[in-house]
Amino acid sequence: MTSQIPQARLRNFSIIAHIDHGKSTLADRLLELTHTIDARQMTSQVLDSMDLEREKGITIKARAVRLEYQARDGQTYGLNLIDTPGHVDFAYEVSHSLQACEGAILVVDATQGIEAQTLANVHLALREGLTLIPVLNKIDLPSADPTTIIDELENVLAIPREEVILASAKDGTGVPDILEAIVERIPAPKGDPAKPLQGLIFDSHYDAYKGVVVYVRLAQGTLRLHDDIRLMGSGARAEPLELGVFRPQLVPVKQLAAGEVGYIATGLKSVRDAQVGDTVTTVADPAPQPLPGYQPAKSLVFAGIYPVSGEDYPLLRDALEKLHLNDASFTYEPESSVALGFGFRCGFLGLLHMEIVQERLEREFDLDLIASAPSVEYHVRLLHGRGELAVDNPANLPDPSDIESLEEPWVKLSVVTPAGYIGPLMELTTNRRGNFENMEYLDPARVVLHFEMPLSELIVDYFDQLKSRSQGYASMDYEELGYRPANLAKVDILVNGEPVDALSLIVHRDKAQPVGRALAERLKQLIPRQMFEIPIQAAIGSNVIARETVRAMRKNVLAKCYGGDITRKRKLLEKQKEGKQRMKRVGSVEIPQEAFLAMLRMDEG
Amino acid sequence: MSSAVAFREHVAAMTDVRARPPVGLYVHVPFCVSLCPYCDFVVFAGAAARGPANRIAAFEAAVATELELRADALDEAFGAPGSVARPALDTVYLGGGTPSLLPTDAVARLLDTVRRRFGVGPDAEITIEANPGPDERGDPGALAALGVTRISFGAQSLDRAELRRLGRRHHPEDVADAVAGARSGGIGSINLDLLYDLPDGSLGTWIETLDDALDLEPDHLSLYALTLDDPDAEGLTGPDGDHVPTTRGARRWRDAALPSQDEDRAAAQYYHAVDRLAAHGWRGYEISNWARPGHESRHNLAYWDRRPYEAVGPGAHAFDGATRRWNAAHLGRYVEALAPNGASGPAPHLPPGGHEPIDEGTAAAEATILGLRTDRGLPRAAAELPPLADAFGWAIAAELLSIDASDRIVLTTRGRLLSNELFARLV
Repeated sequence: MTSQIPQARLRNFSIIAHIDHGKSTLADRLLELTHTIDARQMTSQVLDSMDLEREKGITIKARAVRLEYQARDGQTYGLNLIDTPGHVDFAYEVSHSLQACEGAILVVDATQGIEAQTLANVHLALREGLTLIPVLNKIDLPSADPTTIIDELENVLAIPREEVILASAKDGTGVPDILEAIVERIPAPKGDPAKPLQGLIFDSHYDAYKGVVVYVRLAQGTLRLHDDIRLMGSGARAEPLELGVFRPQLVPVKQLAAGEVGYIATGLKSVRDAQVGDTVTTVADPAPQPLPGYQPAKSLVFAGIYPVSGEDYPLLRDALEKLHLNDASFTYEPESSVALGFGFRCGFLGLLHMEIVQERLEREFDLDLIASAPSVEYHVRLLHGRGELAVDNPANLPDPSDIESLEEPWVKLSVVTPAGYIGPLMELTTNRRGNFENMEYLDPARVVLHFEMPLSELIVDYFDQLKSRSQGYASMDYEELGYRPANLAKVDILVNGEPVDALSLIVHRDKAQPVGRALAERLKQLIPRQMFEIPIQAAIGSNVIARETVRAMRKNVLAKCYGGDITRKRKLLEKQKEGKQRMKRVGSVEIPQEAFLAMLRMDEG
Repeated sequence: MSSAVAFREHVAAMTDVRARPPVGLYVHVPFCVSLCPYCDFVVFAGAAARGPANRIAAFEAAVATELELRADALDEAFGAPGSVARPALDTVYLGGGTPSLLPTDAVARLLDTVRRRFGVGPDAEITIEANPGPDERGDPGALAALGVTRISFGAQSLDRAELRRLGRRHHPEDVADAVAGARSGGIGSINLDLLYDLPDGSLGTWIETLDDALDLEPDHLSLYALTLDDPDAEGLTGPDGDHVPTTRGARRWRDAALPSQDEDRAAAQYYHAVDRLAAHGWRGYEISNWARPGHESRHNLAYWDRRPYEAVGPGAHAFDGATRRWNAAHLGRYVEALAPNGASGPAPHLPPGGHEPIDEGTAAAEATILGLRTDRGLPRAAAELPPLADAFGWAIAAELLSIDASDRIVLTTRGRLLSNELFARLV
């Protein structure tokens, strides 16, 4: 059991960094130095417990850990490290973590300098009024250039140079100074432990035995074991099974008080009853008002997720339910497609988030999935005042003759890059309808480019292109800008006159024809010849913009069928029959599932 | 025959899964001088087929023993050959491989054993397959004297360049010599096998091959679309499999040939053959077989009519009405099982292989598919049976099937070329 530490000696902080700048290594070092984890148990990236996180080198879920640190003043302090995800898609989770803190360590790579997410995260932290501890990491590397980068921090982020701590999370240099700075510079949490309880849920997970386990930051009041609690938003009541802190494994305590970060095993069976952003109070002495809470997560990218084999649909449904307990930031609802069968329309924070959800479903639930091309949500105003629609599936876009106007989401995009790649990145972005706004120099060799750009153009491999055209050096971040009118067209792919829903997409009118032609040509290669000629068309409404033809099958015959062939040929025919049964039917045309998979995977490339 | 009677007979035949005595006998002779890269049959070539170390004598002894053992079993089940319960054979077929490589006296001994143990009817059809090359076509006069009534030559093409591409040892003129020799030797019915859809073939060479073949005045033509299968991938080449593994060279040849086959060209070649042979007064009595009236292969018709047949030799398949069974392809294991081992070794026994019992559903599917392969088709009423009605309705609408003058359902020419589209709905 962990000792009770008075509020004045508590510090709640996050580490914010651009990807690969050393956030997880620094966290590992802090854990080690404070003996939170002994060297024997030490694996790298302790806080990133998901396989996927370790493989991708990123943090997906926020996590928390309490360090007990004996400071140079001789006192023991409780330092609650609240981990933050490090990718642009997870700004939403970053903001949850930051709201539970009074300070943040800003880690900047001494060989790379400020990157796009450094800027974004600093802005988030300042918006929350957090105290920043700037740390220049990786100073042990020969290519480290601390002077230039300290200049950058001073010029771009107005960070006083004397506040910057030089460190190497790898070899431990400067890490004791960081611990000391946490104690000295970050204010202790405020909040009266005697007042009615208010605890903000900043994360949760589901445990088969303990029910929904909520991660809370107590703003005021004290929670003791056996106090019945109420979730002020959902109205749900619970008798907590356990209270505790993160060491980093869950360690029970008898009480949690104002300023502390810990968990409550609620015993609740539905995550809906205890959602992130809700306020926990006690039944006996309820707070008059909940805490402000969070904006609900907003889905920006949408796609259909389907099991490759139709009989896995119930498994997919269960998997989504379970995963959602752990990641409430995606949405899902059932949809069906002629081409792909029964599946779910899912909304994600961004493209990486989509990739991660799909991968977690496949790995943790052993499913084989196919996703339709990602889409954004369009706003459609219908003619004759028949109202407005939000459309996140291109197949559902009304006929052009019914549409008065169409709007699409735009983002403000910042790209940090060495100056040598300005040309290629400008070309990449303007070809995707990006408008260049302005350019700032971080230092003589590096710039931030500011663009405005349709989100739909960003979600189709923009990030990969950015990396490839800058040899990996450029970084990006974006935030929403709202909706703008768009000159867009829905391209439908028709097979023998029937639209194939899963292949519809919305593109800028100028690109409709080349895109339609490419899709039709590709599909022609993938549809086997059948007993009749099959036209494949790309069309905008009733206007055909490209056409290909799959010629009629002429021959499918077993030439020889004698005494020795009958069993063998019957088996070949049975195989053909099974193949036919697995095919999807669009009108009278049989299309192998593989054709759709190949078409959709082409979009991913 | 009235339509109702035909239908009743059809249904009775379809659901009859009782074991019956054979009407035909197939003997597989698995030797060729060289392997053809497109061929899937169980064949052993080179030293096994010719020269001091050849296995022909060992095979002959083994196949004689297998004939005795199979006949013993038939004696036990149905009584002595020639009785009412066990009629003499109507057909004997020596296939391969290249059975014409067998010495004439070996063929004589083999046919003696068959006559003694199975009985062979007075007007039985006795066929032997032969290659047209001068050193492998056998002695037609001697064969005719042994009772052989029919020779089937593996001509494959009458185009010099195509024969070379196929890896064949003979030339077009050898085919003419072989046919003339068979005729003068007293063989009453002569077949030529020809292949279309050859890699880099053309409609033009096919028209010429067919014209040249007709000029030779054979009685029967088997025209096969070249089919490049992969028995290994089908799982047929294991230890008890009925096929031998594909050689690396053959696999390379097939991989190279496959892309230069052409479905449209093949269809044009088939349509040409249908028209050309019909104009010549021939009957296309099965998807790949044409004959002058009266020269249809009785042995092969027995397969399509699902009449029982016995079979011996490596990889050979037999059917008794209840079970389809086959011998493993492996020559060594075949010979070993059947060889006499003196007093100390095990008695000769039947070779390894496999079998598949045929249930009524399978029997009905086979009867439907095999029946439709022939120009007799099926009685019209068969199409109104509930499980088939949908598929038949679809196939008639798609012009794969039509009703002929005698009220039977038959494949159209288009339907023959696309028959798998229908058959895959019937299995």
